Amino acid sequence: MNTFKPVLTEYIDQQDCHTLPFYKRVGGYTALDKVLKMNPEDVTQEVKDSNLRGRGGAGFPTGVKWGFIPKDSNKPKYLINNADESEPGTFKDRLLMNKAPHQMLEGMVIAAYAIGCHTSFIYIRGEFYKEYKLLEKVVTEAYENNLLGDNILGSNYSLDVVIHRGAGAYICGEETGLIESLEGKRGWPRIKPPFPAIEGYLKSPTIVNNVETLSCLPHIVNRGAGWFKSIGPEKGPGPRLFCISGCVNNPGVFEEPMGVSLKELIFDRAGGIPDGKQLKAVFPGGSSSAILTANEAIDVMMDFEELVEKKSMLGSAGVIVMDETVNMVQACLNIARFYAHESCGQCTPCREGTAWLVKMLTRLVNGGGKPNDIDMLFEITDNIGGLIDFSKGSFGKTICPFGEAVAWPVRSFVEKFKNEFMEYLIQEKVVA
Amino acid sequence: MKSNGKLKQRFTFSDPERVEQIFSQYSDKKSATLPLLHLAQSQEGYISNSVIENIADLVDCHSAVVMDCVSFYTMLYTKPQGRHIIQVCQTLSCSLNGADALVDHVTDKYEIKPGETMANDRFTLMKVECLGSCGTAPVVQINKEYHEGLSTQKFDKLLESFE
Amino acid sequence: MPLLKIDSKEIEIKSGTTVLQAAEANGIEIPYYCYHPALEIVGSCRMCLVQVEGMPKLQVSCNTFVGDVPPERKVDGKYDMVVDTQNDLVVQERKNILEFLLLNHPLDCPVCDQAGECYLQDYSFKFGNAHSRFDEAKRVRPNEYLGSQIVINHNRCILCSRCVRFTQEISGTSELFVEARGYNSKIAALEDKPLDNLLAGNVADICPVGALLSTDYIHKNRIWNLKEQPSVCQDCSVGCNVDVFSQRDQILRLTPRENHDVNGYFMCDIGRYGFHRFEEIERVTQPMVRNGESFDALNWDKAIEKTADLIKKSNGKTAGIVSPFHTNESNFLLGLMMNGVLGSLPPITKQEITYQSGFRISADRSPNRRGMNNICGEIVADLPSEIKAQAIHGLYILDDGVDRESDDVWKEILAKMDFVVVQTYAMTALARSANIILPGLAPFEREGTITNDRDRVQWLRSSLPKKGESRADWEILMMVMKALDKEEQTFADVGQVIKVMGEKFPAYKGLSFFRLGPHGMSLNGKASG
Repeated sequence: MNTFKPVLTEYIDQQDCHTLPFYKRVGGYTALDKVLKMNPEDVTQEVKDSNLRGRGGAGFPTGVKWGFIPKDSNKPKYLINNADESEPGTFKDRLLMNKAPHQMLEGMVIAAYAIGCHTSFIYIRGEFYKEYKLLEKVVTEAYENNLLGDNILGSNYSLDVVIHRGAGAYICGEETGLIESLEGKRGWPRIKPPFPAIEGYLKSPTIVNNVETLSCLPHIVNRGAGWFKSIGPEKGPGPRLFCISGCVNNPGVFEEPMGVSLKELIFDRAGGIPDGKQLKAVFPGGSSSAILTANEAIDVMMDFEELVEKKSMLGSAGVIVMDETVNMVQACLNIARFYAHESCGQCTPCREGTAWLVKMLTRLVNGGGKPNDIDMLFEITDNIGGLIDFSKGSFGKTICPFGEAVAWPVRSFVEKFKNEFMEYLIQEKVVA
Repeated sequence: MKSNGKLKQRFTFSDPERVEQIFSQYSDKKSATLPLLHLAQSQEGYISNSVIENIADLVDCHSAVVMDCVSFYTMLYTKPQGRHIIQVCQTLSCSLNGADALVDHVTDKYEIKPGETMANDRFTLMKVECLGSCGTAPVVQINKEYHEGLSTQKFDKLLESFE
Repeated sequence: MPLLKIDSKEIEIKSGTTVLQAAEANGIEIPYYCYHPALEIVGSCRMCLVQVEGMPKLQVSCNTFVGDVPPERKVDGKYDMVVDTQNDLVVQERKNILEFLLLNHPLDCPVCDQAGECYLQDYSFKFGNAHSRFDEAKRVRPNEYLGSQIVINHNRCILCSRCVRFTQEISGTSELFVEARGYNSKIAALEDKPLDNLLAGNVADICPVGALLSTDYIHKNRIWNLKEQPSVCQDCSVGCNVDVFSQRDQILRLTPRENHDVNGYFMCDIGRYGFHRFEEIERVTQPMVRNGESFDALNWDKAIEKTADLIKKSNGKTAGIVSPFHTNESNFLLGLMMNGVLGSLPPITKQEITYQSGFRISADRSPNRRGMNNICGEIVADLPSEIKAQAIHGLYILDDGVDRESDDVWKEILAKMDFVVVQTYAMTALARSANIILPGLAPFEREGTITNDRDRVQWLRSSLPKKGESRADWEILMMVMKALDKEEQTFADVGQVIKVMGEKFPAYKGLSFFRLGPHGMSLNGKASG
């Protein structure tokens, strides 16, 4: 097995890796220098050619998204760095912000240049206070070194970066929820159309990109789209940061090429499961993905297409491992409660449905299970977010993908561990 | 920082330069709402009605619109809290790694349940959702800092260091 | 123009119309809650989901715009969009949304004001499940006053956010907001800034369920007991179109009626609750003649005879006072009868208010000043001087009906008169100074036309029966005119008065009940004044 040389996290173990002198020493900002001498359209084309797909969860091709910016609009363009990492099981952006902030910043400037933006934002979740203070320093450092502000690196291009803190709402990681929050309102996602690339922040064309996605850009510029595309499967290539947590010996962030085997991630990189326990189930892509049983997980390759085939998704690549000691019904309730807490409340299925699920699962866990509860759980999840079958028109019931995000995991728990749920129907007393 | 809760005076920002600096970053006044709310909360400990009115004035909109915003976010408090806010993550990875025991420890030792504040205002205990550091579960945020990979013992020692 | 196919109907519509608008305009029912034509589209209730051919996800029809599509992408070669509102998926989805909405909704229909005009009821019957599958504890909250006129029952609220958007976009006063998030969301107002603007009553109208209720109407009656009559508000010169809900001889409530040339979809609280003053005043329902300090009742023949006598004896020295509160027909007949000096009482003016959306409450709080000026020929500006100059010693007054103390000028005028005939419906201070009182009709009992301050003639329909021996004001004038000259014309109904009015004043020619219709007609600046 070839050990993959990390690209994004190559230097994270080194002491000053987050500083500008260090970053410059290892070749930082040469990509930016190169980009500033290119046509913005060519930059977009390079990113398109690389097949880079978003690493926030949706996996939308980045270059294609940039291409939606209208060429003939004289409205200001906005680039927003989505650092609102809140998907359970995901903690890679925090690592990148702490250990390679300039890499991310360089990616931001490249993206902003490509879309013609002169004011960009970093929307960072409110709880990441330490990271916020660090980024303040990093941005100041960048301004002082002609990497931000007017005439960057002696070019005609100017860019301002504003760091904007969130205040505790998972839904503000959804791009239109984020934009609403940035505009000073509650983070209620918007209906589409219009799409953010046409009418986003302050009704102007806006692109929202994830921290990791932006961090890939300097490398694509430096080493070329062809290089990037050669890492992992062509349809969704590149180095990827996989987060592994839960019941593992060695949780953490592991950089591997797209398409790495889940088995390798869990048992090799993350050191396997403590105390010799058996794998029971695993979330492959954050809590918004459908869980995989141990049997299903054992031969899965972690890439976008494969996981869709397995009726789950790569999402934010936040792998949560559950072993044989984990009570699936409790785990299901835990996840359902997360979504009920984070539901923005705007649209009917999500607002009422998530609470219904929590109430029902709580009753189940406390010994009050009724015979038709299992069927009801299936139905309610379908009614909120639809079946995970992209060919059928049964989703789109909610304004934003939050509906699918709660429906898929909860349904997968019930579907794949039905017997555990059934036990709660027969029990008369409280189960510990 | 906790306020005395009986603010009779109208709220004003103690750092007007910072307020100006915030406004200078945005082309639209209303976008300054969240940064101003954070600033006010770090000054007063919570968002009072007076804060809301002041900010509504500054960003040129109605108080109800600011209140709408405040009530949406979990990090903005409309009531005074304890001196130290203990936020224990309860989402899956932390739950699988002993988060419940940490919560129980606080309840047992300091006699407050989640959502409650001690009578002497020392601690407020809250259960929160994913803090974004699942790899070092269980994670607790106390005030602005993360404390990661806590055993009950480490947690106990940590809490004692907060007055 | 794009060609849209909804179910089996082919509809040609303007580009940029939404599927929901197209369906509504063509008799196809798509249920919805959060959409309102006057408010921003939010697409949050999800009730209007339909299947659009070519799109895998169900789409909210309120936000699906129809436009021209290049020929190679037209469906079946000719349609720019094909929509199915009846397939299994859509039908099931409506059931699901209704089920979600009813989870916490109490079974309040027997005690809820909205029953009979409730969209939750209606859609449940048409599209919903027969019974609930919710087996958990419902979320229960106590009612709250959002303002002095509006109370909210949180348990019934479906969070469509129409009320919040109304206060943000229409009144621009932003009292209402959504508090908290997710399942705990609720509509709220700040304690020190309650919902008390003059458009507040509209939120109870636009609330599709019985969550927002008018404290004025709450628990008073049932919608199916009430007679609904379209009419026009008479509390200012804007002339908002209304629906009057009454039972026997009592008005229970007014709600706005849609008219895009006058008031849009809304009305103000002054007009909405203004009908209460008719319950509080002392009504005059019998002809009366002064006897010292008090009045004796008379029958109509005697009363008319006495009136005609007084006018004849004055030898042309009687002046007529028309009223901007009376219909065009009444003012017109008084103008014909007097054929001489005409004046009017001091105007009632208060603050002019315009809201963010453009909705206006006029400073002129009389409904028909424009009509009065159009129809009466010469209205003298300085009546006291004219009275002196022409040695007028008798007045025939169409009373405004608003009880107020006369100002000094008028006190002087009245003191100098030999006789004053007041045609009124209320024992106002003016009526109290009369020699003869002739009982006319109150505003919502009248039938006739009024002209608003934007030159629109609108038809008033009588919503209430006459009280006692009161007669229509135009009828009283006709009787007096006939007593003065037996050759005078007899009018069988107000329509005939309008005909003659149109002959004398060409701008008003050809008007009729059917011609004016429910939304009135613009004079297009043809009348002067």
